[in-house]
Amino acid sequence: MVLVLAIGDLHIPHRAPDLPAKFKSMLVPGKIQHILCTGNLCIKEVHDYLKSLCPDLHIARGEYDEDARYPENKTLTIGQFKLGLCHGHQIIPWGDLDSLAMLQRQLDVDILVTGHTHQFKAYKHEAGVVINPGSATGAYSSITYDVNPSFVLMDIDGLRVVVYVYELIDGEVKVDKIDFKKTANTQSAH
Amino acid sequence: MVGKKKGVPEWLNSPLWFSNLSDDRRSSRYETITLSPEPSSPPPAPPQPEPSPSRPRLAVAQRSEIGAHSGELSPSWSSPEEESRESQLLADFQITLSSRIINLGELRRLAFQGIPHGVRPTAWKLLLGYLPLDRTLWAHELEKKQTQYYTFKDDLLLNPSEITRRMEDSAGSKNEDLSCLSTGLLSRSNIVHGEHPLSLMKSSVWNQYFQEAEILEQIDRDVKRTHPDMDFFCGGSSLAKSNQEALRRILIIFAKLNPGIKYVQGMNEVLAPLFYVFRNDPDETNASHAEVDTFFCFVELLSMFRDNFCKQLDNSLVGIRSTIEKLSQLLKRHDEELWRQLEVTTKVNPQFYAFRWITLLLTQEFNFSDCLRIWDTLFSDPEGPQETLLRICCAMLIFVRRRLLAGDFTSNLKLLQNYPTANINHLLHVANKLRGPTVD
Repeated sequence: MVLVLAIGDLHIPHRAPDLPAKFKSMLVPGKIQHILCTGNLCIKEVHDYLKSLCPDLHIARGEYDEDARYPENKTLTIGQFKLGLCHGHQIIPWGDLDSLAMLQRQLDVDILVTGHTHQFKAYKHEAGVVINPGSATGAYSSITYDVNPSFVLMDIDGLRVVVYVYELIDGEVKVDKIDFKKTANTQSAH
Repeated sequence: MVGKKKGVPEWLNSPLWFSNLSDDRRSSRYETITLSPEPSSPPPAPPQPEPSPSRPRLAVAQRSEIGAHSGELSPSWSSPEEESRESQLLADFQITLSSRIINLGELRRLAFQGIPHGVRPTAWKLLLGYLPLDRTLWAHELEKKQTQYYTFKDDLLLNPSEITRRMEDSAGSKNEDLSCLSTGLLSRSNIVHGEHPLSLMKSSVWNQYFQEAEILEQIDRDVKRTHPDMDFFCGGSSLAKSNQEALRRILIIFAKLNPGIKYVQGMNEVLAPLFYVFRNDPDETNASHAEVDTFFCFVELLSMFRDNFCKQLDNSLVGIRSTIEKLSQLLKRHDEELWRQLEVTTKVNPQFYAFRWITLLLTQEFNFSDCLRIWDTLFSDPEGPQETLLRICCAMLIFVRRRLLAGDFTSNLKLLQNYPTANINHLLHVANKLRGPTVD
């Protein structure tokens, strides 16, 4: 039972001052085992805040991040799943699912976490699943101003993942979930 | 001497303490008792006349390891008279335990003298009230308790993921299999009962899980350091690991069923001897469900001493403070000189030593096998375990009175916090003498 937080595109301080209070009250240290951050934090203070939630923090570089040392892509294995992390501004067209599928095949991961569009999405194709946690602060994106703050928490338990989607709609936190299983480790034989 | 006595009671000056006699309670049975000189180095334990060979040998081997560093071994292994006494006692036990309705009074009387290793598990279960006295009811009772325990395990040991999965299954939602759905947006579904991992609601299983995480960690830590010197509990072997897992489960279930006291450090020490004895039952079927038996006996045992662990009751009439006060009064009644020396002259507050003696039921003061022997008496005494425990503690103080009277605060405290190895049978004999109103 591993809890993995997928969060990103906060754009603090340029586009938003802070996370919504209701999100902040829920995100307390001690509950989450890993954090996958899609990028665009943008400053060190946000990095420190996320680090205080969980020591195992992974960040991919977004185009506005002030720290240039974050990697472009990152892969890690949690339990039976391989997860990949990338900000997404590099994938053109932005948010295009086929192009993201290409990246997923390239990184060879079961779950790809990307951002940049500031819209939550969970999409499945033959190679695996793509999850976009959206923007946790509701900052405007390069595409639209109409953004609901959102983030994603994944509960990885054996071969089963429950994806909890937290969205702030009209000042209230709404939680949904997505359930999926993967069949036992199928190695791509190509 | 009449009225208030100030000196040492007469029986304490008896020649009993200057010889290494075997238990004189049995002296009426045998005509001759030879004074066998205590061997200076502990002899290897001779094979005991036990019903089944496998389990007891493990325990005996460990007993001799543990007893190896103690200067004074109980003479039960040194003379042939002792061996025949043991086998006689075993025979007596077997007769008592084989009758259809077990005579509790007779069992108590026999148990008071020490229970032979093979019958100890059954005897303890009877004395603690776990098994009914009617033998025919045993199978039914055991089965009932086993199902109960497995229900507890099922309900209380799940992590929140599994609990939410169960809730969903009962609510009738279905999972999406990655392989069957080819491409497309994954549909969002509603969460069941508002349960999500970051929930801050009091009723949320997730929230409760994280709040209990601290207790679980504490239990984990304590279980790992229970009796590190014993292979049964500690060490890399899979046996030790499974034993530790069993201890852990029992403590977690107990903590969850008793939100009033939850888990207190030290409960693992009270649990360990129980589990050890039941797990090493010569009867294989009994040993296989040792965990279930241990759990319920642990509940019984703690219910007698529950108030010692409850923090809020510390200063009340039933709490640990007043129990320690009772011990102090008991000592004053039996040996005023020693009491005065300890409390007034050297100012050794009984809380410094008696706290651990009483709450942990003397498990930390003696080696493991001696502790089992003490517990035999503790369970079997008709006066009840609380009273018996206080008498034994008082006896422990009187036993080392000479050193206490000669010492100052530091040396007395040191002595009482590291109680020297003693002949347990003698100690229990003294404790027995302290029964009732003032002994003369």
